[in-house]
Amino acid sequence: MWCKPSRWMVSRSEDTGRKLPGFAGRHIGRCRACGEFARSSAALASRLRGERAAWLAGVPDFSLGFESDAGPAGTVGRAAAADKPASRRPRLGLRPLPVAAAVLVVAAAALVLFRSAPRAPAPTAQGRAAARAAIADLRSAPARLQGVLGEAESSLERERRVLEQSVTSAFEYLQTRLNIRIERKEAPKPL
Amino acid sequence: MAENDPIAEKTDEELAFEARSGSRRSFEELAIRYKRRLFVYLRPRLGSDEDAEDAVQDTFLKLFRNIGSYDPAYRFSTWLYTSANRLVIDSFRRGAAERAALASNRAADGPDPVATGESSGPGGSGLWDAARTLGESRFRVLWLRYGEDMTIEEIAAVLGRTRLAVRVLLHRARTGLAGKLGPAARRAARPQAETVRGAAGR
Repeated sequence: MWCKPSRWMVSRSEDTGRKLPGFAGRHIGRCRACGEFARSSAALASRLRGERAAWLAGVPDFSLGFESDAGPAGTVGRAAAADKPASRRPRLGLRPLPVAAAVLVVAAAALVLFRSAPRAPAPTAQGRAAARAAIADLRSAPARLQGVLGEAESSLERERRVLEQSVTSAFEYLQTRLNIRIERKEAPKPL
Repeated sequence: MAENDPIAEKTDEELAFEARSGSRRSFEELAIRYKRRLFVYLRPRLGSDEDAEDAVQDTFLKLFRNIGSYDPAYRFSTWLYTSANRLVIDSFRRGAAERAALASNRAADGPDPVATGESSGPGGSGLWDAARTLGESRFRVLWLRYGEDMTIEEIAAVLGRTRLAVRVLLHRARTGLAGKLGPAARRAARPQAETVRGAAGR
């Protein structure tokens, strides 16, 4: 009945260094199997520590690849390069002659483009004066706006007149052709 | 290792600190000290010598890249084993295809010769060989506890488990090992028997 808790207490004592509780100590003194367990547990730690070096000495040595001049970082690079499978993507078969021709064409196109669209020259004193005059002209626009609007109105009036003449001549043609008379309706009288 | 080599007398933490400052020689010394230890720790979990060697190499490469984040206030071994554990877990999570490949590799390599009793293990140590047959998780806690002298808290940190879980695993490992060793263990433990009995009686 006390075997399991007593053995657990033996293990706990091994791991934490705490004393065995009274019940466990008394049980171990009486129970032969638990006594054996306590003895083997106590021997186990020192035996495992003692045999560790001999056991490790039997492990076959292996290289980590760090001994090379390149060091671990270099090893990573080399290993990655060695393990990397060959790329399945077809390589671009660039031939020298077509490539040279293409480069020439591109260079010529660039030259033409740069010539046709030269950079704007740096502003000169004359340019600045012209710009100032243009700005002054823009500022005087409200004063000239009335005249501009009048011109636009007269143009509309001219358009209306042309349209009216066209309609009138169309009426006359239809009256003559169909032998009918179409009278112009008087405008409704205001109420 | 030459006896008059000052680097051989430095602690792991001192070497790691120097490696963090850019000393490749210190890092190499750490790799020499730990590669076999890490190998025996990872070998039961990975199933083949080749996989274990690859995992050791990957762990050190990872450490080399992240050596700047090492805090000398902590033990180097704890950091190393934690990194190794995470690396192995990541490799197991990589996908079904790789797991299948791993399983086929294992099948090709055959079962662990130590576990099947065909080999006496690396150094012919009966106790450590017996420990390897207990199962991977029990062997790991035994190795960290007695092979690396880690505390329960450190083992819990390495394995990502609670302290109680670690103590339960250790208890089961001890129970299993005591059962496997039988009379041989009793004979070896006899000189200490009276001491333990006396301590228990008090």
